[in-house]
Amino acid sequence: MAKHETPLLDQLESGPWPSFVTDMKHQAETKPEVWDILGQLELSYTDKITHWKHGGIVGVFGYGGGIVGRYSDLPKRFPGVEHFHTVRVAQPSSKYYSTKHLRDIMNLWEKYGSGMTNFHGSTGDIILLGTRTENLEPLFWDLTHDLGQDLGGSGSNLRTPANCIGQSRCEWSCYDTEECCYFLTQKYQDEIHRPAFPYKFKFKFSGCANDCVAAIARSDIAVIGTWRDNIRIDQAAVKEYVAGNYPANGGAHSGRDWGKFDLQKEVIGLCPTGCMWMEGGQLKIDDKECTRCMHCINVMPRALRPGVDTGATICVGAKAPILDGAQFATLIVPFMKVSKDNEFEELVNFIETVWDWWMEVGKNRERVGETMQRVGLPTFIKVMGIEPIPQHVKEPRSNPYVFWQDEEVPGGFERDVVEFRKKHAA
Amino acid sequence: MALSIEDLKLAILEKATKSPKPQLYIKDFYECDADAKPRVVKNAANDLVKEGKLMFWSSGSTTMYALKSRIKNEEGAEGVN
Ligand code: HEM
Ligand code: HEM
Ligand code: SF4
Ligand code: SF4
Repeated sequence: MAKHETPLLDQLESGPWPSFVTDMKHQAETKPEVWDILGQLELSYTDKITHWKHGGIVGVFGYGGGIVGRYSDLPKRFPGVEHFHTVRVAQPSSKYYSTKHLRDIMNLWEKYGSGMTNFHGSTGDIILLGTRTENLEPLFWDLTHDLGQDLGGSGSNLRTPANCIGQSRCEWSCYDTEECCYFLTQKYQDEIHRPAFPYKFKFKFSGCANDCVAAIARSDIAVIGTWRDNIRIDQAAVKEYVAGNYPANGGAHSGRDWGKFDLQKEVIGLCPTGCMWMEGGQLKIDDKECTRCMHCINVMPRALRPGVDTGATICVGAKAPILDGAQFATLIVPFMKVSKDNEFEELVNFIETVWDWWMEVGKNRERVGETMQRVGLPTFIKVMGIEPIPQHVKEPRSNPYVFWQDEEVPGGFERDVVEFRKKHAA
Repeated sequence: MALSIEDLKLAILEKATKSPKPQLYIKDFYECDADAKPRVVKNAANDLVKEGKLMFWSSGSTTMYALKSRIKNEEGAEGVN
């Protein structure tokens, strides 16, 4: 495969930062098809149009997901990228790897693909970029048999679930995110590997409101750890922070001199619900007003800790801006116990109720968040069998009408329309 | 009355054969049996893929179903993600 003239791409190498162009040229020395990626990209820069074709029937036997078909629309000119399929490989919980395992994955990918990867894609999977259709089955065989790793989800499947590192390393995790993610991944193997829905569906698990997997912004069901009781306060440690003996934010901002720690300005003043104050040298929190945002705990981790009656908040319906604009997930259940002891029963019931409804009511290529928007939150929470609570209300009502359902009115209002029209012509 | 799984599969294949467009969404098959739950229809369609009678066509973000004979080549034309 010939090198191509790429003056526009070469210019990208001139900055002080690392350049993907340099990396790809390096890769092209052993994988010459990479020259054709550069050549095709350069052409797109001048043509101002993509030369990639999306989609196809590529896959591995028995699976309806995990491989994303990509082709060049100029295969004669760029034969190295005639096929350039993406392989999604399910990541282990929390993305823990041994270096040996990473090397094994890379050896496999050097053998069957371009050697180019994206660690990790926005779904959380390992993304192996660029291979040909005929390589897919042998790659899949080695991946599953030699490396013990599976493909992830794509298309209208349940996407590879993802979790924050949770209790494996983080003292703030309010439930076992890894266990929960692993359990549901096993339970829903069919939904991950074969299409099941009107469109993609994702769930993600964060142990606290810091939401390190950004569940609230990019999952159809976000399970975010929280607590019902009170923030645990160590007043002696609060004094140490005030005295400047403990570094704020665990020293995370120590690269610059921010001046003396100011409890009032940096903690109390930034509490979003204004529920903190100092009284007689003690830090006070009105816990019933606290939204469990984690801010104060992040700043003073040695003084403040989440409560002990822990579980998760369930939010539904986040999505990227592809159709109607991006949106965050909406709070549906403020607190749910999330535990392996009952095999995550409440969460499983919740997930399956959403699925049964969305599979029926969701339109083609409509994310569940869009279906919710279309029918309205009151309808959605009724479907979910959930009583409305003040936290469901986003803003004061702008619609003055109150609609009553038959069953909400004593005696109901069954009418015989024919009888009625006899007296009142339409 | 819901169809038997075998009859449902036949209805799905008929729809995939006769529909004007070759690629169909799973929801397009719901009408093959209005009484069947979406999951039952989904499982029947996925079974047909396993049996080699239908093919998946995936854009990467959405998956559709088609008879292999009705797709001209391996590649899809639709510019969706
Ligand atoms: C003009 C060209 C392209 C456009 C406009 C485009 C656009 C997009 C968009 C909007 C997404 C969804 C992102 C998200 O929801 O997070 C996406 C995802 C993706 N695209 Fe592209 N894309 C293009 C080219 C390509 C090419 C050339 C490949 C592979 C060779 C590719 C592979 C993928 C993959 C694998 C994903 C999913 C990534 C993940 O889940 O982490 N795309 N693309
Ligand atoms: C069950 C009985 C009735 C119902 C449900 C009803 C409902 C309504 C509604 C929904 C409006 C529009 C309000 C708005 O957009 O601001 C309206 C306006 C109106 N209704 Fe009724 N109505 C009823 C009986 C009556 C009767 C008995 C009269 C007269 C004898 C009447 C006279 C009017 C008038 C004049 C308006 C226009 C008011 C305006 O433009 O400011 N309505 N009605
Ligand atoms: S989301 Fe919370 S619990 Fe999970 S790793 Fe981040 S800070 Fe820790
Ligand atoms: S967690 Fe957030 S809302 Fe609660 S007291 Fe701390 S800063 Fe305020």
